[in-house]
Amino acid sequence: MPPAPRDDARFEREALCWLPDVSRFALSLTRDDTEADDLVQDTYLIAYEHWGQYVPGSQCRAWLFTICRNHFYRSRIRAERQVPTEAPEMEALAAAAVHSGARAEGLDDVFERSEVMDAIEAAIAELPAPFRDVVVLVDVNDHTYDTASAVLGVPIGTVRSRLFRARRLLQEQLIDHARDAGIRRAERTPPTGERQ
Amino acid sequence: MTMPPMLDCDSVMRQLWDFLDGELDADRINAIQDHLKMCERCHPHAEFERTFLRALAQARREPANPGGLAARVRNALRERGFSPA
Repeated sequence: MPPAPRDDARFEREALCWLPDVSRFALSLTRDDTEADDLVQDTYLIAYEHWGQYVPGSQCRAWLFTICRNHFYRSRIRAERQVPTEAPEMEALAAAAVHSGARAEGLDDVFERSEVMDAIEAAIAELPAPFRDVVVLVDVNDHTYDTASAVLGVPIGTVRSRLFRARRLLQEQLIDHARDAGIRRAERTPPTGERQ
Repeated sequence: MTMPPMLDCDSVMRQLWDFLDGELDADRINAIQDHLKMCERCHPHAEFERTFLRALAQARREPANPGGLAARVRNALRERGFSPA
């Protein structure tokens, strides 16, 4: 008996329409255009192969992101580690302490400084994978906690814990970067004619 | 009608990320907005975090050649029998 025909029109309609989103996500993971293009193509070939497992009407974009992420890590042989996290609210409070410290050092405008902006992509890449994934989904690609939960296959509480911890790690790393670069609060430039 | 209780700074700080991510309900959002408008301690912290999130969002990169990639993916699918028409 021949295999059931795939519904290619539905694949076109429901899966291929997310190609730009999958491309951006792949680029966030790989940080390399060529590698990202390969990853996107592999994602769609895998999705097409397993199209029968997709539940019509469910989140096709999240399903594609999951394939993309899993294939990325499989190709790099990087298993997801268990990472300890604090309760999300504790992480949120800790972020307030980071701000207080930055302000005390004259670094309260640190995330507006071009030297720090240039370091953000590298700082995200250096995060442990579980933290990086959630930052890439929520902060870089503007997805909801719910979508991140579906893509990563973890509860929303875990998404929040990882996200808030990741943000604190990033802030601490970027403030260290600013400190090492000798960045301090920008001096106010007096208007023409103003005496110092 | 009773007024909803005002939030204290600790409650606002605990919910700040959810607030900035748009993950709270409308009543909670309004309560936090009201607090931030009048709190000299929380407002600068919220602005600091907002600036941080804007900076992270700017790390988003767009594919260099989206049209070329779409054509490449479709060709690869066709080689596997993909025929939507």
